Amino acid sequence: MIKQLKNTPDNALQESIKEVALQNVERGKREAELVIANKELFFQNKEKQKRAAELVIANGELAFQKREKGKRAAELIIANRELAFQNKEKEKRADELIIANKELAFQNREKEKRASELIIANKELIFQNKEKEKRAAELIIANRELAFQNKEKEKRANELVVANKELLFQNKEKEKRAAELIIANKELAFQNREKEKRASELVVANKELLFQNKEKEKRAAELFIANKELAFQNEEKEKRASELIVANKELESFSYSVSHDLRAPLRAVNGFAILLEEGYSKLFDEEGRRLLHIVQENANKMGVLIDDLLAFSRLGKKEIKKSRVDMTELAENVLNEFKASLQLKAEVNIHTLHAVTADTTLMNQVWVNLLSNAIKYSSNARKPVIAISSEQQNGELIYSIADNGVGFSMRYAHKLFGVFQRLHDAEDFEGTGVGLALVHRIITRHGGKIWAKAKIGKGATFYFSLPEKTIN
Amino acid sequence: MENKEIEILLVEDSIHDAELTIHALKKNNVASHVIHLKDGAAALDFLFGRGKYKERNLDNKPKVILLDLKMPKVNGLEVLEKITTNELTQKIPVVVLTSSKEHPDVEKAYKLGANSYIVKPVDFENFRKAVNDLGIYWLHLNQSL
Repeated sequence: MIKQLKNTPDNALQESIKEVALQNVERGKREAELVIANKELFFQNKEKQKRAAELVIANGELAFQKREKGKRAAELIIANRELAFQNKEKEKRADELIIANKELAFQNREKEKRASELIIANKELIFQNKEKEKRAAELIIANRELAFQNKEKEKRANELVVANKELLFQNKEKEKRAAELIIANKELAFQNREKEKRASELVVANKELLFQNKEKEKRAAELFIANKELAFQNEEKEKRASELIVANKELESFSYSVSHDLRAPLRAVNGFAILLEEGYSKLFDEEGRRLLHIVQENANKMGVLIDDLLAFSRLGKKEIKKSRVDMTELAENVLNEFKASLQLKAEVNIHTLHAVTADTTLMNQVWVNLLSNAIKYSSNARKPVIAISSEQQNGELIYSIADNGVGFSMRYAHKLFGVFQRLHDAEDFEGTGVGLALVHRIITRHGGKIWAKAKIGKGATFYFSLPEKTIN
Repeated sequence: MENKEIEILLVEDSIHDAELTIHALKKNNVASHVIHLKDGAAALDFLFGRGKYKERNLDNKPKVILLDLKMPKVNGLEVLEKITTNELTQKIPVVVLTSSKEHPDVEKAYKLGANSYIVKPVDFENFRKAVNDLGIYWLHLNQSL
């Protein structure tokens, strides 16, 4: 404090001033307090007088209590004895309690152990609790989800009920179908067996086909070679055919001019023989005249032969002009011509004939030749009968002319229609052997056929067919 | 040269056919004056007064010509064409003689102006009849134009 004053004289002064002021204040305070304390001592004196009065009363009280205490001491002795007994009981009890205590202590330890275990378990449970809470939260969500799913499942269940019914129906159907399938299965099993059988047959057949195939390939190769050969031959034939056409034309004109040129000397033979007979018959005897007649006859016969041949060769060149031909009328006209030119012995029956589309001139020629043949070959019969008729068959018209004349052997039927073929002696029946060949050619060129049936001595029937519909 | 009226000119290369024809014509007096020539060339010379027949009186025309078609040198058709295209001869009737009516020359002959034709048959009797009928027609019935 001094140091501070020395070092700081102003501060120290100020401080001591403050100290004196403070002490003055304290002295004032102390004087006030002493006044208060005096009053207090006065008050206490009055109280002590009151208290002494009270003590006189209290002394009387104590005297009474002293008596009460004697009474009380006697009661205490009794109570002491009681307490001593109780003490002994309590000691016994204490021992028991010690044992019990020990027991309890053990149990306590056990409990503590258990408690610590429980703490751990608790912790575990707490953890599990937390987990369970988490799980619970999850389960709530899951629950909601399940609830939703449940609804869905109910919906689905309803649907499934419907579907189930449907399935039930289908099941029944399927059972039915299954029953059917069982039957079908049996059938298929049977067919399977059949097919297996067939398959094994096919295997055999396959082998056979394979073999045949090889054979065919071989054959094909052979045919290929043969084909080439045929192609070559074909070319040759075409060449030959065109050569033949040329040769045929040459032959036709040749035969034509030959027949013409043959007629000139023939005319001379015949003509001069007649002149000889007319002018000089008196110079001949009977045999001479007979020989002269033979010359004439043969010349005439040769003339007819040449005429027939010319007609036959002409037919090859002539164009066929088709029109509707009344065959009945045509045959009747031919018959009438015959009746006009010769004494007709035969009875000729012409039935109504089918009309046909053909060349009139050529059909006329057919009737002339066939009818003259029928007349000729039936001329020796006692009562010659000729029948002409026609019928329709399979798109063809078949005409027939039947006589009851000499007929012929069917053995030679194939020679009937050849040129110069004759089945009878010229002495018995005249003829050149061209007539039927001519008819054959006419019918063939019309797309028809000609044939005959006959028996020796029983007459002959000639048939010819013509297509009903014309092919132009 | 003859001035006697010529009735028939026969142009025929076959002498035998010609003889038979003439014989047939003369029989029954159908024609008595017949001139026979053996080929077409001679027939043309005769008709038009050439060569051998230079001096012939061309006014003396045959009443009818019988013309064979098939002849050497100048054939019947050539002769026919000359006859029908020449004013001098085109009015003379021409009858064609042929071996067959089917001969294609017959058709050509008609086209060239032939008046008729006769087929020469082997059968002499028929030939004689045909020639006879023809002679009567052309010489006696037909008035010359």
